[in-house]
Amino acid sequence: MADAPPHSQRTLSRRGLERLDLLLLSAEALDLNGGEAMVWLSEEMGLTDLFPNRVELWKRRCSNPLRRTTRRESLSEAEADGLIRILNALADRLYPMLRSLLSSAEPPQLSEQRWALFRGRLHELLRERFNPRRGGVQRLLHQDEGPQLCRDLIQTMALSAGPGGFERLKASLMDAAA
Amino acid sequence: MKLSSRYEQTSCRLVLEGLPDLSAGQSAQTIGILTGFTLALAGKTEMEGQRDHLQALIAVVLPYARQLLSGVARPLGDDEAAVAIRPQEGGHELELRSSQPNTPPLRLPLDDAELADLVRCLDRVQLDPGVAVPLTWPQPQPLRRAELRHRLPLRRRLAAPLTGVAALAVAAALVALVPPTPRPAASEPAAVSKPASGG
Repeated sequence: MADAPPHSQRTLSRRGLERLDLLLLSAEALDLNGGEAMVWLSEEMGLTDLFPNRVELWKRRCSNPLRRTTRRESLSEAEADGLIRILNALADRLYPMLRSLLSSAEPPQLSEQRWALFRGRLHELLRERFNPRRGGVQRLLHQDEGPQLCRDLIQTMALSAGPGGFERLKASLMDAAA
Repeated sequence: MKLSSRYEQTSCRLVLEGLPDLSAGQSAQTIGILTGFTLALAGKTEMEGQRDHLQALIAVVLPYARQLLSGVARPLGDDEAAVAIRPQEGGHELELRSSQPNTPPLRLPLDDAELADLVRCLDRVQLDPGVAVPLTWPQPQPLRRAELRHRLPLRRRLAAPLTGVAALAVAAALVALVPPTPRPAASEPAAVSKPASGG
């Protein structure tokens, strides 16, 4: 089958939805008030038409098929853009933390403690909200595969922060199905 | 009047120097003609260059970062390019090639945090209204299926087709083991009386 030309697809694929929600979950794992921060940022960025309250924001995130309670409705382009903008702003706020996790200049013992804390919180959130029968969830929780996947999530957040991060992340979430 | 614009992000400092292009109607505070730039990465040799070098840096670093978001770490920048970037053990390597003959290339190892710092500095240059230097900025695009092929490890990519072939082979072997169904003994063909030809 021929590959679709870039930008022909306007809504996020299943994989795109999964990644976007996992990145938002990573932001919650890094910041205990991450859930509140999302609501606050949504209001701050004038996204209340799309996400009038925290329940609506939560419902949009539940279009991720990896969730325990998943919604069949897919996100509209505006809703996906809104969530990407929230993630972009969260990544910007969390950039010093993301950077310290990724930096090789940090003392190894301290770095390992930070990673262990992040992975621990992410695993808790995954077990609480995601379907453990899904392969994607099992890989994240896996003892060998999990750490590299967690690092990929943090690297993605770091490169999605800042002024060019929105366009970069959006393009990556719209990749062709592998 | 020489202008300078500075972009800093933890381990990275990028400074652009230039002049306003008044003939193009730009304000006196806008860099329209780049006379040079310096890129300093903490603890590494400082790099200086002209507009072409900055363009070459932009042309490889931003698409490389874009690919990394999709889990694809592929070297960028061919032998002719002034700047190349490639993945290396535990991070990335930025290679800066001098236009001076007999000058060996400068190789700067970057970890993920330093790469993210550099990308943020370049993003800021792109969006800075005080910089109107004609530079080409790559637009992030979704990757095609062929470009994502290397994201999955070879073992996982081969798993599905190999399982299919193995299942087919097992099915064929099982079919071969089934004894052939005995055919009924061939019986004498029944005599068919020819119709008497009428006269």
